Amino acid sequence: MNQGTPRSDTHSAGEATAKPRSDSGARPATGMGAGSDAPPSRRNLGKAILLSLPLLLLTAMMLMGQGGLPKNSLYLIPLIVTFLFTNTLFFLMVYTGRTDRYRAVFFVTMAVGFVITFIANLLEARGSMALSAANVVKGETPFCHMVIPMTLIPAALTRTIIFPGRILGGFADVATMFGIWIGATLTLGRGFCSWGCFFGGLEDGFSRIRRKPLVRKIGEKWTYLPYAVLVAIVVIAALTLSPTYCEWLCPFKTVTEFAAVTSFKVLVQTVMFVSLFAGLVVVLPILTKRRTQCGLFCPMGAFQSFTNKVNAFDVRIDSEKCTDCTRCVNVCPTFSMDDASVSRGGTRISCTKCGKCVDECPKGAISFHVKGTPIRSSTGKARMLFLYPGFVFLAVFGGGMIQGALYRILLLATTGHMIK
Amino acid sequence: MKQGIMYEMEAFLLGFSSGTVCLAYCAPVLVPFLLGEGQGIRRNALLLAEFLLGRLTGYLIFAVFAWAVGLVLFPTLAWRQVIFGVAYVLLSVLLVLYGFFNLKNWCAGERAPHFLNRLTNKWPVRLPLTLGLLTGFNLCPPFLLALTRAANSIGILGSVRFFVFFFLGTAIYFLPMPFLGAFRSFRILRTVGRLACGIMGIYYFYLGIVMLHGGMRQL
Repeated sequence: MNQGTPRSDTHSAGEATAKPRSDSGARPATGMGAGSDAPPSRRNLGKAILLSLPLLLLTAMMLMGQGGLPKNSLYLIPLIVTFLFTNTLFFLMVYTGRTDRYRAVFFVTMAVGFVITFIANLLEARGSMALSAANVVKGETPFCHMVIPMTLIPAALTRTIIFPGRILGGFADVATMFGIWIGATLTLGRGFCSWGCFFGGLEDGFSRIRRKPLVRKIGEKWTYLPYAVLVAIVVIAALTLSPTYCEWLCPFKTVTEFAAVTSFKVLVQTVMFVSLFAGLVVVLPILTKRRTQCGLFCPMGAFQSFTNKVNAFDVRIDSEKCTDCTRCVNVCPTFSMDDASVSRGGTRISCTKCGKCVDECPKGAISFHVKGTPIRSSTGKARMLFLYPGFVFLAVFGGGMIQGALYRILLLATTGHMIK
Repeated sequence: MKQGIMYEMEAFLLGFSSGTVCLAYCAPVLVPFLLGEGQGIRRNALLLAEFLLGRLTGYLIFAVFAWAVGLVLFPTLAWRQVIFGVAYVLLSVLLVLYGFFNLKNWCAGERAPHFLNRLTNKWPVRLPLTLGLLTGFNLCPPFLLALTRAANSIGILGSVRFFVFFFLGTAIYFLPMPFLGAFRSFRILRTVGRLACGIMGIYYFYLGIVMLHGGMRQL
């Protein structure tokens, strides 16, 4: 590790003072396993097409389902657009060597698509975004991954899932969501937060609105807040046997579903989650250019961080190439890089594997890595090994949401109504 | 019955949320002591039990004190609710400040090593017991909040019960202590613990407002 540039001890976003590149003569790598002394490089076109083929076939099967191509154009057009959109982005990811740029496009679209589809479905099914007591009693609340940390202790102690949803059957049941979460944990670790979470894309989108951040310094202490929120909500949920986070804190209820305001308590809850949404998902990401909900608040993210320990992939820094410019520290959207982690040649435990630092490193010193293998060898292979499960997960989760949103938009354009 | 369980849960929860901070302050004193004794897990467990007994004694003394305060000062229910509502609000603000901002010297445990050195030089005392008792007499915001809540309880037994469960909440973190080395990152643990206290402060602020509102309506 070069020791040229002094580092700051807070997380400061903004333009890093990267040293000028001195590797003008270095040729971009073309092979899968080629190491490079430069930022992500283009691949050979034929090879990129070949590497994109598996996803092309998979998404075709996935989007069409068992029924083949639909005849109704209201369903056919969204399917074709989603198919092309998904595969174009994956191809560009493979061809250009850039990860975060194209991941973010899909991720943000998925989040917007999710909100449109979810709200439209709710309005169609029960005429309102607000949950009534009757809906809760019937177990009609879709289970969401955010609830998982709160359910584990009560489930172990009482064999009860403390959530008014269905264990099996129906929309977003508990068993399915647990299955998806376990799959994501094994394949991606906390990468789930950048490749699967249908909420994260909202703040990711807002964090990309401004070119430069207005707020640059955030104290290191606040990066531990998600763990404190996790401790608080897990304990309260275990002791009161109720999903505390969902009731009081989840900012995303603002754009999905929420309890109808029928008492002072529900009013306070509503003020809290709407304020958290406005602050952490909209305003702070715009001001800081960071994913502040994910990095400074989300207890599910904190919980998921521990799964990085058992996941096969991580992001590593080649200390021989690193010039200590701290650009990675400055651009990391979830505060997962700091001086100490860079010195250790890696990220903090909270890394979401979004690939932004990999894209931004002016020396190409940062790469996806398979644990147990040498850092400098086969960085391209390690990246592809991560991209396949990562993007497949994104496409599986997001494809349907984007397709659903396009269908609703087409319905609105042709009939004047988003719901039937 | 459910009300009673909720009361104990609340005490346990408050203790649990502040327990990491207690641990973070006490561990730097207790760990070197246990390491210094260095007589295996069973011996360490006995020393820890002695320490926790001292701590419980300190808490119980406070429980009786809290009950006496509640009995003497606030005889009617409405006034109790108003006074304790105000106390909740003020102390929860203190808890939030303590949790989210850098306020120092809240805990008697920080000063314990100094006192202990002077004490052991003069009198033959059981060191873990004394250490536990001293760290039990602390006035950090979670403890003050527990004191207020216990004073608001009905009867001396309610007050004692609250402090016993508060103690149990804090004591959980000490249990792995005999297996030293489990808590190496005290700084991070302390940070997380204090932030968790801040979050609990927000919860108590809400409870205080509800209590105050209820009391005002009855007056």
